[in-house]
Order: sequence, then C-alpha cells, then structure tokens
Amino acid sequence: MPTKEEALSYVKAIAEQKIATKDEVKQAYDLGSGVKTDASSNKRAGIAEILYYIGGAIIFLGIAILLAQNWSTLSFATKVLATFGVGVAAYITGVLFSRDKRAETVGHAFHLISALVLPIGIYVILDNSGIDAGSMGSQSFISGLLLGAYLLSYAVFRKNIFALFSVLFGTWFFFAVTSYIIGGAPYFGGWKFSQYRVLIVGITYMLLGYSFSTTERSKLSGFLYGFGVLGFLTSALVLGEWKPDQNVVWELIYPGLVFGVLFISVYLKSKSFLTFGTIFLMAYILKITSEYFASGMGWPLSLVVAGLAMIGVGYMSLSLKKKYLNS
Amino acid sequence: MIKKNITLIIGVAIPILMILFVAGSIYLPALFIKPQVNFLYSIGGYSSYYYETGHQYSVRGSKLTESQPRPVQSQYQPPQKPEDATLYIYDVVKKESREISFQEAQKLNLDGNLISSDGFEIVYGSRGESFFPFFFGTGTDYNVRYLRGHNVSQKLNLQLNESSYYNQFDFLGWVK
Repeated sequence: MPTKEEALSYVKAIAEQKIATKDEVKQAYDLGSGVKTDASSNKRAGIAEILYYIGGAIIFLGIAILLAQNWSTLSFATKVLATFGVGVAAYITGVLFSRDKRAETVGHAFHLISALVLPIGIYVILDNSGIDAGSMGSQSFISGLLLGAYLLSYAVFRKNIFALFSVLFGTWFFFAVTSYIIGGAPYFGGWKFSQYRVLIVGITYMLLGYSFSTTERSKLSGFLYGFGVLGFLTSALVLGEWKPDQNVVWELIYPGLVFGVLFISVYLKSKSFLTFGTIFLMAYILKITSEYFASGMGWPLSLVVAGLAMIGVGYMSLSLKKKYLNS
Repeated sequence: MIKKNITLIIGVAIPILMILFVAGSIYLPALFIKPQVNFLYSIGGYSSYYYETGHQYSVRGSKLTESQPRPVQSQYQPPQKPEDATLYIYDVVKKESREISFQEAQKLNLDGNLISSDGFEIVYGSRGESFFPFFFGTGTDYNVRYLRGHNVSQKLNLQLNESSYYNQFDFLGWVK
C-alpha cells in the first residue's frame, strides 16, 4: 500500500504524462471511495433526450385537453382509464424501459407522463366520489400519496428520476398541508406567509442539493441549487417589501444573504449561486436606490450611482467566475 | 451515518418543523385561550336598491332597536321592501348559532364595541388559491369569518346566506 505522498506523486506523474484525464482520475477516486454514479450521469442531455421529454409533455397535454373538452360526455370509467390508467401504464412502461440502459432515457419520458397524469387520475376519482378535489385537504392527499409512491419507487429502483419526483411532490405536499392547516385563519393569511414558505423551500432545496452532490444523486444538485437559490433570494427580497411598508430587518440582512450566496458559490463551485447572487445583488441595489435615494439625490443621479454599482457587481462576478469556478 | 447525512436530515427537517410550527401556533394557543363572550348578529334585512335605510337593527344604549326601511323614489320600478333580518345569538363555547326573536333579543344587554371585553374581534378569513405549482394569489375570504384575539383565531359557525355576495352578516353587539 503506497503512502499518501507516493499516491499523490503518482497522480502528478499521470497528469504530467497525460496518461489519464482529470475526470477519469476523479471517477476512479469516486469508485474507490464507494460513491456510485449512474451510468447515465456522464451523458449530456442530447437533442433526442429533450425530444423524449417534450413528447411526454405533449402526450400529457393531449390527455388534459381530451378530458377538458369532453368532461361532461365521458363516463367515469373512461375518465379514470384516460388518466389514472394511462398514468399507471406509463409508470410500468417507464420501469420496463429503465431496466435496459440503452432505453433508460425513454423510460424517463414515460415516468414524466406518469407523474403528470397520475395527479389528474386521482383528482378524477376524488371528484367522482363527491369530494372537493381542488380543496387543500384533497391536494394534501394527492401530493402525499404520490410523494409516498415515488419515495418507495426510489427506495426500490434507486433512480434519480424518482428522487426528483419525490422532491417535487414533497414540495407540493408542503404547500398543500400548510395551506390546509391554516385554512382561512387570519393570522397566517396573505401573501407574506407564502413568501416564508418559498423561503423555506429554497433553503431545503439548497441543502438537499448539497447533500446529493457527493452521492449517486449528484445530477440533481444543479437543479436543486438553481431553484433553491432563486426561491430563497426572491422571497427574501420580497419580504423586505417597499417603502413606506418596508421591513427594515429583511432589508438590512439581505446584503448579508446575497454575499453569503456569492461566498458559497466559490465554495461549491456553483454557477447557479454565482449567477443568481449577482442578479439579486443588482436587483437589491436598484430597489434600495429607488426606494431611499431617488427623492434625495434625484432620480438621474441615483441611476448613475446604481449603474456604477452594478458595473462593480458584474466585474466582481466575472472575477469570481474566472478565478474560482473555471478551474 | 447521521453525521454523513446531516445536510439531508436538516433539509428534510426544516419544512417538517415549519408544518409543526404552523400547526402548533394555530392549535396550541386555542387550547389555553378561549373566547368567553357571546355575541348577537343578524342575517339579511339590508335595503335593496329601492330602500336606503341601512341596517334594520342597531344597538343604542346597550339595547337592540329596530328601524323601518324608507323607500327610495324610483321612476323605473316600485320600491321592494327587503325581507326582515333574522337575529341569531352565537355561543362561543358551543360554537353554534341559535335563532332568537326580536323581543328576546331586546332583553339582552349589549356592548356595541367591535372588540369584546375579553379582547376578541370578528374578522374575515383569508384565502389562498393554488394548485401547485400555480399560485392564484391570496386575498380576503368574504364567506368565512373568524373570532380573532390574543394570537388565537376561531372559525365562526354562522348562519350565513351564501347566495348573497356579502352574506348580509351584521354584527350587533357582545352579550354582557
């Protein structure tokens, strides 16, 4: 067994003599450290793959339009077959395709159809049972049921697509259950509570993304980082509100949150964090300038100052990207 | 194992804790703080386009009084007298409404303030329409009313006329 110094010198020699690429060395390291990678994780989404998903979405649209146009004429059995039946069939087809590595992506498209159609199928069944399917109680039931189904699917098949749908149905479940518990209670009502929920979902997505980044689910990290940081920074900015109803606490801590995101972008080497951190820092500068300085300094001068600040932010963002993220 | 998955555990725990926090802050205070003062309200009796007297019943000097609607002179249609309002007393402990007659209601001592002596007021509910991932916004739910005070809110089981836009609900006073 070589010592650490010997091993590192081997790696150095491999790099100097170009025996293996950096990715191949990293892959070998991951294999050795027990980190599993999907066979498909190294494939880039090609045009064919995108077309599969678009095809899946079009099938869903077709079913939705068929139902909407013939809702009153179709029998209950037809409605269930066209929705729940199609959803179950698409799920089974997806599982069968996913068993073959070559057809795995086609399997994903069928899973997408299944995930889009199954909620409508359950909605149809609830609606026929005389239950208000649009109520928050029903939405909690539908999302909870599908969350359970996809978590179970993930536990059995260990496919990223099931982890992704678990996250999405979990998000729906979170919104529906909190809305159900609140009902119409005046203390929690209104737009502000929704902003707090988006903030929580944003934090959760970022943490899940980080947690997945070193596992077989690393392919989901980019999606979770992107939507997580977008939700987090948007809700925190909106919570600051606008003069004269501004929330000073949120307005004061916001720069700290944005710079925290920019710092994390370097640590995680995440372009989503850097991009959204930069955009929201610019948005914050514009908001604060127009809110507090437009009347004192005058709007034209405020715009000049804001413009200069934004050029500075843009320069900082590019420097960070070149120095830390492109390595 | 826990240390290795700590971010996953925290990530999943945060929304669960928020659900528990929301449930706790709604249900827990309601276990300890309960409204005690019943109130009198009426449903209906509003003047239509052809009558302009406002409310049929009102509280003056802690007693219920009744006023007669005055017709508006209209060249288009003859005035139509609105139907009489119905009086109800709301029992905040039993959470139910009981219809009472005007004569019965006149015997009550009423407090016409909007906030009761134990610190509760009647407010509209709030509404959030959404079907994930679509949000249709939030607003006031005019079909639901709550008793609100001391960080507690209790949904009221009123005899509302749901066919009418404003339900023709009229708060008259707290029963002293």
